[in-house]
Amino acid sequence: MKFAYNIKTCFGMQFFRYVVAAVMIVLCFPLSLLAAEGGEYIAIHKEGSGKIVLALNKLDAPVKEESKLAQRLDAIIYDGLDFTGLFTMISPPLNVKNNSSRENIVLNFGALDSVGAAVYAGGAVTNTSGTISLDMEVYDTAGAKLLFKKTYNGKNVNEQQLRAIGHAFCADLVELLTGKKSIFGSKIVFVSNKTGFKEIYECDFDGHELRQLTNSHSISLTPALSPDGRYLAYTDFSSGRPALSIRNFSDGKTVTVGKSGVSIDPGWRNSREVATTLSFEGDQEIYLIKADGSISRRLTSSKGIDLSPSFSPDGNKMAYVSDQNGLPQIFIEDLQSGQVSRLTFSGRYNTQPSWSPAGDKIAYTTWENGGEINIFTIGTDGSGLKQLTESAGENESPSWSPDGRMIVFTSNRQGSKKLYIMGWKGENQRPLLQSDGEQMQPCWSLFCQ
Amino acid sequence: MKRKINGIVILALMVTAGCSSRSAVTAPEASGTQAPSPKISSSVTPSETVALPPASAPASLSGYGFDQWQNGPLGDVFYDFDSAVLSTDAQNQLKQNAAWLENNSANKALIEGHCDSRGTSEYNMALGERRASTAKEYLVRLGIASPRLETVSFGEERPFDTGKGENAWAKNRRAHFVMKK
Repeated sequence: MKFAYNIKTCFGMQFFRYVVAAVMIVLCFPLSLLAAEGGEYIAIHKEGSGKIVLALNKLDAPVKEESKLAQRLDAIIYDGLDFTGLFTMISPPLNVKNNSSRENIVLNFGALDSVGAAVYAGGAVTNTSGTISLDMEVYDTAGAKLLFKKTYNGKNVNEQQLRAIGHAFCADLVELLTGKKSIFGSKIVFVSNKTGFKEIYECDFDGHELRQLTNSHSISLTPALSPDGRYLAYTDFSSGRPALSIRNFSDGKTVTVGKSGVSIDPGWRNSREVATTLSFEGDQEIYLIKADGSISRRLTSSKGIDLSPSFSPDGNKMAYVSDQNGLPQIFIEDLQSGQVSRLTFSGRYNTQPSWSPAGDKIAYTTWENGGEINIFTIGTDGSGLKQLTESAGENESPSWSPDGRMIVFTSNRQGSKKLYIMGWKGENQRPLLQSDGEQMQPCWSLFCQ
Repeated sequence: MKRKINGIVILALMVTAGCSSRSAVTAPEASGTQAPSPKISSSVTPSETVALPPASAPASLSGYGFDQWQNGPLGDVFYDFDSAVLSTDAQNQLKQNAAWLENNSANKALIEGHCDSRGTSEYNMALGERRASTAKEYLVRLGIASPRLETVSFGEERPFDTGKGENAWAKNRRAHFVMKK
């Protein structure tokens, strides 16, 4: 019960602070009651129940020099919470605090209620000899009570550290209100040709902190991060042929699966095993490979192209592409029983399956008769087919966020291929980042720091 | 003069070969009622066709297998959309290529499989490999030793014609021959 642990942590921390600082008057609640409050929010904010109206206050900076710091953190926290699509963000009413004393905050819950805010969040930031402290408080309007209170510390004033601090708060808030792990801390790997060569890049979930991961001056394609973020698997042409490379971030070493034929388009089953298409036995089949590059076993055995494995969250089922019926369609194999069933029957050319971390849906692309490529989602039982993109050129390579609420994809709707983001129902489609050249084949990691 | 006569002979043989094999091999349409397969119809074997035309160089460096992107001794072969099946023209080109390889037994070749930019790129990487494999297997059936022929796929990553439309796309759906040292 992760959110209960969080509250326990914050209680421990605030008791310590109370003893040391004796500054804030803290509203303490029995653990079970607060847990119940969190549970209410979880019950209310199940999928489809609408956004949470959040009044986010600007951070106090007790010392004038820290006001710039406060402004930067304001933007980081606001943008982060806004990105999730979970909240309707509003400014708190001017009379939200009943008095002006910082040490004794009493919120005007009536004023919050009158502007429709369900939750209020605010706090202060201080800089003590280079150590940044962000003190945050979150209140529930309806119950007129504190939901949680926590301090976040960072060692430096640089953008990366400030983002880490701000996003740590965002993560706690989202996890408290939804009961699920958030996207804060997750990364997206993708291909970009901005240097003139197709290389692998990484960015944060919101498109910031761009980092180049390969520099082979060749062709690098289809990157995939292991769920724990320790390994990067990708298709690498540096040897002259498309081979599978697996890089270990902890020691920087890379292994190559050196089989004849192609080795392409990897998909991780868990943090130790990755599946990919190999053709060294004559036909293109999907094989399971360990992170050290050794082959475990073959997973498919049908004539023709088998490609693009994507696993269910428990690793027991695999969605993949097969052209055994002519043009490519998506199939699901139960890895325990070996049973294979066809998933897609609508559309003549269906590829690029991506299994939602929530477990219940698969996103994929259909190449339409008119030349467009569109992204669809379908239930894992084949029901509930839903089209997410339309009349927007070629939309490819969908990849789910770790919480299953968003999808990153490639679109050339404005000319060249760029990365786009949308909600899981196809809402709010917008570019993820601005960069030269083309960006494509994104893969959203599961792990969060 | 002699080369010109050779050219006419080759042309005549190609026409004859084309007629005889047309009924034996059909190229399935891209609507895909069957999976693209690297297997060639078994009714077409070297012993049934006419003798390979003698040639130490192609009859001309233009025509089916030769264009601005291919002027080596071995001509490229082209494929239909979403297909790795060899058309009659493709088979004839491969016969020419086999003849040259027969007469130049020290040479090795790399066969690159390519696709046009439509569809999705991972699938095209696999399709490109099937095209290269199909061309290689045909040459091996004609008697060229397998170790002399290496295959690789570039999918849609290294297009020849970067334009749009069927004219450009058709030029990219090929098995491209590169001589190796």
